[in-house]
Amino acid sequence: MDALIELSDVSKQYDNDGAFAVEDVSLRVESGESVAVMGPSGSGKSTLLNLIAGLDRPTAGTVTVAGQRIDSLSETSLAKYRRQRVGMIFQFFNLLDDLTVADNVLLPAQLAGASRSDAKGRADELLDRLKISQYKQAYPARLSGGERQRVAIARALVNSPELLLADEPTGALDTATGEEIGELLRELNQAGQSMIMVTHNADLAVRYASRTIQIVDGRLADGGLGAGIPAGGTEPAAGAHAAKWQA
Amino acid sequence: MSARPVLRAASGGVTRHRAQTVVLFVVLLVSTASATLGLALLAAASGPFDHAFAAQHGADAAVAVNGSRASNAQLAATARLSGVTGAAGPFGAATVSISSQGFSLPSLVLVGRASPAGPLDDLTLVRGHWPQRPDQIVLSEGTGFFPALGTTMTITTAPGKPVLTVVGVANSVTNTASGWVLPSEIRALRPAGAPATAEMLYRFASAGTAARIRGDVAAVAAALPAGAVAGFSSWLTAQQQANGNSTILAPFVEAFALIGLFMSVLIVGNVVSGAVVASYRRIGVLKSIGFSPVQVVLAYVARVGVPAVTGCLAGLVSGNLLAVPVLHKSAAAFGVGQQQVPLWVNVVTPVVMCALVAVTAFIPALRAGRMSAVQAIALGHAPRQGRGYAAHRLASRLRLPRPVSIGLAAPFARPARTAGTLAAIMFGVTAVIFAVGLDSTLSRAEEGQSLAATAPVQVSLNSGNAWQPASSQDRAILAALRAQPGSSRYVAAAQTELSVGGLALRVDAQAFDGNAGWLGYGVISGHWYSSAGQVVVNTAYLNQTGLTVGDTTTVSTTTRSVTARIVGEIFVPGNRPALMTSVQTLGGTSASLGLDEYYVGLNRGVSSSSYVSGLSRSLGANYYVSGPQGGDFYLVADSLIAMLTLMMAVVAGLGVLNTVLLGTRDRVHDLGVFKAVGMTPRQTIAMVLCWVVAPAIVAAVIAVPVGMVLHSATADAMARAAYTGLPASFMAVYRPAEIALLALSGLVIAAAGALLPASWAAGSKTATALRAE
Repeated sequence: MDALIELSDVSKQYDNDGAFAVEDVSLRVESGESVAVMGPSGSGKSTLLNLIAGLDRPTAGTVTVAGQRIDSLSETSLAKYRRQRVGMIFQFFNLLDDLTVADNVLLPAQLAGASRSDAKGRADELLDRLKISQYKQAYPARLSGGERQRVAIARALVNSPELLLADEPTGALDTATGEEIGELLRELNQAGQSMIMVTHNADLAVRYASRTIQIVDGRLADGGLGAGIPAGGTEPAAGAHAAKWQA
Repeated sequence: MSARPVLRAASGGVTRHRAQTVVLFVVLLVSTASATLGLALLAAASGPFDHAFAAQHGADAAVAVNGSRASNAQLAATARLSGVTGAAGPFGAATVSISSQGFSLPSLVLVGRASPAGPLDDLTLVRGHWPQRPDQIVLSEGTGFFPALGTTMTITTAPGKPVLTVVGVANSVTNTASGWVLPSEIRALRPAGAPATAEMLYRFASAGTAARIRGDVAAVAAALPAGAVAGFSSWLTAQQQANGNSTILAPFVEAFALIGLFMSVLIVGNVVSGAVVASYRRIGVLKSIGFSPVQVVLAYVARVGVPAVTGCLAGLVSGNLLAVPVLHKSAAAFGVGQQQVPLWVNVVTPVVMCALVAVTAFIPALRAGRMSAVQAIALGHAPRQGRGYAAHRLASRLRLPRPVSIGLAAPFARPARTAGTLAAIMFGVTAVIFAVGLDSTLSRAEEGQSLAATAPVQVSLNSGNAWQPASSQDRAILAALRAQPGSSRYVAAAQTELSVGGLALRVDAQAFDGNAGWLGYGVISGHWYSSAGQVVVNTAYLNQTGLTVGDTTTVSTTTRSVTARIVGEIFVPGNRPALMTSVQTLGGTSASLGLDEYYVGLNRGVSSSSYVSGLSRSLGANYYVSGPQGGDFYLVADSLIAMLTLMMAVVAGLGVLNTVLLGTRDRVHDLGVFKAVGMTPRQTIAMVLCWVVAPAIVAAVIAVPVGMVLHSATADAMARAAYTGLPASFMAVYRPAEIALLALSGLVIAAAGALLPASWAAGSKTATALRAE
């Protein structure tokens, strides 16, 4: 299997003389994998995700995603990388309150220059499949947490990215809604969507990720090999689901 | 109540929001500087002559004395006459003609003075230094002749033609001389055989009217031997001239000063209150940890107070520095030598600005202080929910790049702040439109007076102290004009004075020998004369005679009376009636009209200065050849307009910068989201720039008519002050394409103001922005 993500000796230090948020991390994620990154608060898991998402730059080391070194890209190239290769979902959804659900979902496609009809078709399809098409013209503030996270997932997938990054995707949701979102993510992974999920919810990691890695004080606990496929997990890229989620 | 937490909170705000602190400082700096300049200009335009007269201890009368008829002791004794409150002199004087750099100046009165200072007529040395050697001269600003320091001038009427070097320029508010040399030099400058003349300066107990001054001078003359007083000049003449300039300049100086003051107040209010409102979230946090409402108010008034007060003081210093060249120009325009920022301006401006800052910071801080902590945090977090949503919905339907449509809809989320931005741009565009229009009108007025575009070269006869045209000289000029390469066309004119029944003032008349329509005098109504028996007159003529275009008028030369029809009203500013016609209308040269001036048009591409030099060489010293003469008034007005407009545009741009900066702070999290989903830095800049596009367009739509009305009203007021109407062509300065271009200045101001915060937004770290609340 090809490596979708490869981190080599990556370190991140926010202040020159401060502690490392991430230190000497080397990690390899295969295409189609669903990896959960676990660790206590302040362990560096969100920083690691930001480095992979191209939202931040490492102090040392290299980050390669889909064969492209992203640690040395210009800001413009990073923006293009984020819109084409990565979809992100966040704990607090990060939807734009003054745009409708449809406009939130359409935004990355429009920024990427997709034609209006193509973008709209893809957004409608995603909203349908995520069962929120009835809220298309609603504003995010009127939706429940689970509905907002579904909108965020639709927005993350609208450009059919190779990689979905989720930062505590169920952290702001009640248990039942968190379960729903977890199921949705697993379904996506089964359809072939590569995914990295940051969580401190061990149950979520065990049930919905194919591999779990632990990060403590900025270092990978087991050298990044991870815990392998958990009992409740599945093999990646189940072909039967793939067509459902691909553009 | 402990002051420490208050100071800590205030200083924390100052250092944490460095960009906003800098903007506050700069806005206060520029606004205070512009207010200082505006008030200084208002003060300068208010009675400039009276102020300068008081400062220079101006003389009520400068009396020319025949030195052979009165001794120095007799003259000194006149200082003790009843009614004389001050006297200076006698100063030796000489009437001379000079030649310099190919130009000749006739009939200059030079006075010998050991120093510029004195109990009366305390001269202002504008440039250079006072003569230290016999061969040095300081010229009077009033001559309107400003050669570079170091230029040499030959006294053509003095024996041996001595050469003087210009070492300075000085201003006498009452124009007591054309130039000054050391007292020992005067004797050598008098023409051979000319009587020794002197000048006495007097201040009288009563000198408010021309009749009083005539009486005062008569009393002096009576105390001296018969024939000792050869003539005198009154301060009232200088006052009339200076006040003429003052009243013409005042409307536009006042318009600019008022725009500047309004804008300063608006933008300072907007910036300061915006800074406090933008801190509501932090205020909520301070309240949640135990700050009392009073401590909150004090902390935030102090927070904006530190940069505001320092900016205010820096602005006061900058305003004073900026006022030096501006007031130098206005002093030159008013003919008063020197003007300074009055003390009251330096006191009132910072006090008012600081009070404005305190009030505009106090009101929102008080409001925040009274809110609950939760309410303050909620209000400080984001624009009120629901605002601007419809605009976003509509904008999303536009077939525009998404960053553009999102940017266009953004201003609707913060209507009050958008109104502030709109007002700042509106004032800026109004200033630009007003300034461009006024500049065009003044340029046309200048061309209409100087004839620079049509007849850039003028030739006069110069025969020593008198202007004596002779037919041989006319023939010489015609021959030289025909021979000089570059001559296109020319027309000769006779200058004369006419009398009109019922008018106290004499009429300045110009009679042209040939077609003079091409000279292009501005026609206010009617048309240029086209045949004998027709005349054109200025507005003062019509106003003072009560006649209108189409009426007949009877004028008298020294030898005959002529009745002619007034066919046009022409642009010749001033209170003195003026009339132009053909030589034939006034009876030809048989009516004692001598052609004494030639207006010369040049072929395209011919340099007027090289033409003037060539023609001067060919004609010699008895002819005065001059190039285009832009009036000082217009030069000063142009540079004032340019400087004031630039300041207005800068202040408007800063107003925009501030509101966009507040917007980027409000929406920092959204900006992080935009970038996280793939918005490039260029798209981010485009989006933020589009925040100000809609306000700029609306501002321009409002500013265009406002600027045009302001231009029209100001130009009319200036014209009225100059006793003239204005030709329609002087007022029709805005063509549709120009209006569209000028309206674009709104976009330019807005984009220039928004570019910096847009770039900051584009360069901010996405991960950091996403963490921001």
